[in-house]
Amino acid sequence: MNRFRTLLFLSVFFSAGLWGQSEPTTGLRDNTPAVHAFLNARIVVAPGKVIDRGNLVIRDGMIESVGERAPVPPDARTWNMEGMTLYAGFIDAYSTYGLPKPPSPSPGSTQQEESPKGAAHWNPKARSDFDVAMEFRMDGKEAKKLRSQGFALVHVVPRQGIFRGQSALVSLGSNAGGRLVVKRNVAHAVSFYVEGGFFSGYPNSLMGIIAFIRQTWIDAEWYRRPWESFDRTPSQSRPETNNTLAALREAVLGRQPVLMEANDDLGFLRAAKIGKEFSLNVIVRGSGEEYRRIEAVKSTKVPVIIHLNFPEAPAVETPEEALTASLEELRHWDAASENAGRLARAGVPIAITADQLKDPGTFLAQLRKAVARGLTPETALAALTVHPATWLGVIKQTGTLEKGKSANILVTDGDVFKEKTKIREIWIDGKQHEVKPPPASDVRGMWEFTLSVHPGATGILALKGEAEKPAGSITWAGKELKLQSVSYTVGRISFKLPTDSIGWKGVMTMSGTVSDKEIFGYGNRTDGVQFTWDAVRKEAAKAEPDTTRSKKPEMASFPDVFPPGEYGRLKQPDQPQNILVKNATIWTQGKPGRLTNSDMLVTGGKIVRIGQNIQAPAGAVTVDATGKHVTPGMIDAHSHTAAASINEGGQAITCETRIQDVINSDDIWIYRQLAGGTTAANILHGSANPIGGQNAVVKWRWGAHPDELIFEDAPPGVKFALGENVKRSNFILPAGTLARYPTTRMGVEQLIRDRFKAAQDYEREWKQWEKNRSKIPPRRDLELDAIVEMLNGKRLIHAHCYRQDEILMLLRVAEDFGIRIASLQHVLEGYKVADAIARHGAGASSFSDWWAYKIEAWDAIPGNGPLMHQQGVVVSYNSDNSQLATRLNWEAGKAIEFGLTEEEALSFVTLNPAKQLRIDKRVGSLEPGKDADFVIWSGSPLSTLTKCEQTWIDGRKYFDLEEDQAFRKEIREQRAALIQKVLASKDDSTGGRKQGETRRPNEIELHSCIDEVTYE
Amino acid sequence: MNKKANRQNRILPLFTLHLFAVFMLMASDPIPAPKQKKPLALTGGTIYTVSGPVIPNGTVVFDKGIITAVGTNVTIPADAERIDISGKSVYPGLIDSYSTMGLKEIGSVRGTLDHSEAGDMNSNARAEVAVHPESKLIPVARSGGITITGTTPVGGLIAGTSAAILMDGWTWEEMTLKAPLGLTVNWPTMIYTASPFSRQTKEEWMKDRDARLKALNDAFAAARAYVIAKRAEQSKGIPRHDTDLRWEALIPVLERKIPVWVNANELTQIQAAITWAEKENVRLIIVGGRDAWRITNQLKAKNIPVIVTDVLSSPSRRWEEYDLVYSLPGKLKEAGILFCISGDTDPSNARNLNHHAATAAAFGLSKEDALKAVTLDAARVLGIDSLVGSIEPGKQATVLVVSGDILELSSTVEQVYIQGKTVDMRNMHKRLYDKYTEKYRQLKETE
Repeated sequence: MNRFRTLLFLSVFFSAGLWGQSEPTTGLRDNTPAVHAFLNARIVVAPGKVIDRGNLVIRDGMIESVGERAPVPPDARTWNMEGMTLYAGFIDAYSTYGLPKPPSPSPGSTQQEESPKGAAHWNPKARSDFDVAMEFRMDGKEAKKLRSQGFALVHVVPRQGIFRGQSALVSLGSNAGGRLVVKRNVAHAVSFYVEGGFFSGYPNSLMGIIAFIRQTWIDAEWYRRPWESFDRTPSQSRPETNNTLAALREAVLGRQPVLMEANDDLGFLRAAKIGKEFSLNVIVRGSGEEYRRIEAVKSTKVPVIIHLNFPEAPAVETPEEALTASLEELRHWDAASENAGRLARAGVPIAITADQLKDPGTFLAQLRKAVARGLTPETALAALTVHPATWLGVIKQTGTLEKGKSANILVTDGDVFKEKTKIREIWIDGKQHEVKPPPASDVRGMWEFTLSVHPGATGILALKGEAEKPAGSITWAGKELKLQSVSYTVGRISFKLPTDSIGWKGVMTMSGTVSDKEIFGYGNRTDGVQFTWDAVRKEAAKAEPDTTRSKKPEMASFPDVFPPGEYGRLKQPDQPQNILVKNATIWTQGKPGRLTNSDMLVTGGKIVRIGQNIQAPAGAVTVDATGKHVTPGMIDAHSHTAAASINEGGQAITCETRIQDVINSDDIWIYRQLAGGTTAANILHGSANPIGGQNAVVKWRWGAHPDELIFEDAPPGVKFALGENVKRSNFILPAGTLARYPTTRMGVEQLIRDRFKAAQDYEREWKQWEKNRSKIPPRRDLELDAIVEMLNGKRLIHAHCYRQDEILMLLRVAEDFGIRIASLQHVLEGYKVADAIARHGAGASSFSDWWAYKIEAWDAIPGNGPLMHQQGVVVSYNSDNSQLATRLNWEAGKAIEFGLTEEEALSFVTLNPAKQLRIDKRVGSLEPGKDADFVIWSGSPLSTLTKCEQTWIDGRKYFDLEEDQAFRKEIREQRAALIQKVLASKDDSTGGRKQGETRRPNEIELHSCIDEVTYE
Repeated sequence: MNKKANRQNRILPLFTLHLFAVFMLMASDPIPAPKQKKPLALTGGTIYTVSGPVIPNGTVVFDKGIITAVGTNVTIPADAERIDISGKSVYPGLIDSYSTMGLKEIGSVRGTLDHSEAGDMNSNARAEVAVHPESKLIPVARSGGITITGTTPVGGLIAGTSAAILMDGWTWEEMTLKAPLGLTVNWPTMIYTASPFSRQTKEEWMKDRDARLKALNDAFAAARAYVIAKRAEQSKGIPRHDTDLRWEALIPVLERKIPVWVNANELTQIQAAITWAEKENVRLIIVGGRDAWRITNQLKAKNIPVIVTDVLSSPSRRWEEYDLVYSLPGKLKEAGILFCISGDTDPSNARNLNHHAATAAAFGLSKEDALKAVTLDAARVLGIDSLVGSIEPGKQATVLVVSGDILELSSTVEQVYIQGKTVDMRNMHKRLYDKYTEKYRQLKETE
């Protein structure tokens, strides 16, 4: 109510020019003329289009004319803009102005407590009908602050939920609410990030959110069709009304921009990918890290709104703290302010926002840093005016100072991108808002004065310095006296004058009212006698030339590498046309067995020959492996490495989620696993759900982008889980939360069976509809689509399981539906039903010897793998733990004790996992035609005393002990140099990562089975 | 088939396996061994004495639980039982110096967990009294050659006192070789790292850290005051001072009879612990010690030993070398620091201790020193080297017979002797292995 009253108040007193206003005038009308002519200004009409000295006329809030000799209409009030520069007012393309902070969800509020308002979406995180134009509140204080940074308009983007709602372009003027809205329903905001953790309801993980976004676009596309059908044939069940899906219509048809937020460079690529998948008109609010993958970002052709919250300098004040600073972090600090400049130079369309700054009042300072670090002023201006105006569909109304546009005019006393320049005022819709007005009269210059107490005598008052903060001296009786405590405000100057040197012991105080030509003053002599003084100007005010030379800024010290930071390379390792590995013990893991003194020839990334005395083709890279052992690259059939999110625990069935959506190709564990000879992995969803998410089979191509890690020919798969984790045996539920179905192994069986049946029903429903397509079309359901694929044998099932009863259960359920489980994961009691597993034909991917971390792992024995192997099961040893995956060869070595041959044991981490993942045509053994994914070891791979020396993928060397030494040296040198730079910088960056935010959260945690609920 | 039989012979050399009746016997629990009744001579094996040179084709004799002779020219007492172990190796029993063995059984079942007491001040918690002799983890560990664990409580700021626990015996009293060994302290984290999982702001965190450091200092100050007050009790006119178990437990530490085992991985933790121990005038052992290699000169100057835990792990900092932890023992050795290697603190995989030592050997430590780090040097760090840790006359006959190199995964510990007792080598894993081997034998029979 208070705010409303304020608005009302304002509207009464400033009701000039309320064109087309519905509100009645209650008092006297305000008909102050709204015609202004700005004369003699430097006018930046548009980026790159400058009038060095000209006039600009506005009438009733619109620009009437602009030009060197634009005529001044006789009814105009004139403003002398000598020395001033006019720009189009800035547009903040991504603002939260006027919106309340979203409430932080209480833990345990998994479901809405109250019934939702109206025809809401079933999921409270989808709020597309939220309309900023209906919800924002004018915020005078914030508006003033934004105006002080040059902004005339802000694009207000809703900030709560995943599908956040409709944005609006809002003016920062002082009109009443409705007049502030420049355009509503400008764009639709979608976010990958929601408040609340594991218990905040579905979806609560990045992976789940992306899946939910995907499904919702599909739903939005589909939504109108049931209604069309229903309108044609009302004699069928009425379709649902859904405000969110209805509100997404323009966006899903590509007619309304979709704004997405990215928190890191990979997030940008994810957003762009979603946009491409649904042909959306996507704009991304970037993270500030886009420069690190500039080519990939550029190739998406997606525009970026860049924030200027540069990271704080890493803590390096003490040597111990400095140890915690990673090279990645240091390099990002060093290069972050070049983000905008580099993107613009690469041709990426950019806009700039004050969003993410702790204090929007620092925007200009940050912008100037970006300009100093390579962003051209012209592009910077475009990024704040023409670009956002174009993207938001208001370029015909605003964004330049051309005739016919809104009078949004920024007035500065110089080049706005230079450090000393001040914003004097900003006109919004033809109305003046002072920011830092210059003094009405410039007091600087020479004045001759007389004192009432010394008639006849004259002195000289000389003032210089800044117009608002003059300094100077008085010359009296041949002595120069320095002024102290000079103050100059509201046209009054005052100062103190120590007068000991002219015989008056003490300090005289003087003040005066200043006009252009005269000062009328009053004073207090040291003896208490008061006097008047009068001064007349002898010399005109003169702005002092800016003598401070702008220091050339130091640019980023090192070229970008992939991945960013430590152990990154300038580009992917070369793939030599021919490679000959000579004179090694070769564990082929195929029919030829283990060969001594043998050679292996690789051509174009594929193995072509293995044998003795192979001649090197001309130009081949030869690797002398005398005394060394060569094995296939090891394959980890159960990994969570490089997954930015692991579990979507919001629902019990989540096979619509995809690990591929959340791959973090920068995970340092990739490099560490390469250093231990692991070349491929099966990245799985966690074990929170009976039917979990879709897995991703990858090769550890360190330095490649996420999608480039994907193993091209690997068939798709999915994670299942049984037992303690899915029934949440070890959970302590927050108060007020209900247990999730299922809570017993009985329920697990029934739920899986039910979903299999649901998928069959779904398939039938589609077939039925396809026949005549007359009735309401079925809704495409990504979850059921995935299950249909499983039932059709097109999606491999990798099932986390422990106890023999549940193992058998799953095999039987699968058999009932005529399908085969591809791999049983962990399967720690597999040895108890090895015969059944072998008969079913499932693979078994186990730990070598983990046990006792929970009841269902109590009967786990290290003989599990060997016993299953002996019964004819294809057995592998996996890691489920990023560290363990760096040494799978030793895990395999543990099988020998149980009577396996060395080659059988090594197959547990090479050929067998390849078979389980159905990629054995390409990897898993060293045979002609297969990929050149191999490891060179210092000795037998099964010996604890052996080191991995080289790791190759696709005939490219991704790890080499010698190169690793070079990396170490480089990391040492670069960290040292950047730490020096931080120490020298006294970094005054205002931004910094938010409290509790680090870039790659998943690296902190070693994913392992001990965290029983989260991973496995 | 041949292969399987072969395996069984290697694992259970003392039992003949052909009959179902024997299988029934095997299916029962392992039974604590009786005391050594007559002298035993292991002949023909390669003897890794650790304290001296390796003796090929040597003999070890022990009687009444004590080693009486070691060498190639040894007189074997007439009444001695001779066991020919040609082709095999004899090692001192392995010592897992930092473990919750006996206190922790099944991670997810609270009723089986006794390793972490509530509250911050648990100086009076004694590990040995809660060691569960029936723990199924113990027979599994000793099949991996573990004969003694430095069993420790781990909960709170001051966790309690550790004990050297033998991996065989009917009761915890019988199993306790020495107690207390040391007072375990979990040094507070000194440097703040922002994490999406942290619930505290930096300021809250700092307040918390400072409070913990103060609590540690206060505890020792209180214990000193307690000693003074108790001593003064005898004087005339001094009132009675009632017992405080927490401060009683700190007296042996203040008297330098037992060291403080400080869990400290990160550099500032280690530095702070050293300064603190100097100020408090207590003996210090660093546990963990990931950053210890950075300040070896300071550790050396103060003669501070290190228990390197979990060698099979990776560095915590993104930029650090992948093999930083693997090569940590080698670096400490080079600097002349007394150290030992312990495995995973979690007891279920204590049997992989040899693997941790072997990895150190692959990355810079000599094989001899790697072996030493889990035997004699572990005994020295724990203060039990006068009793165990090497094969030399006068020491307890806690030794292993191994099929090959104990640092290789393919080797099998065939027989364990603890204080001369011939330890039952059965365990739950073998029982289940044999049980289900029997299942498949039956299936095959009826096919």
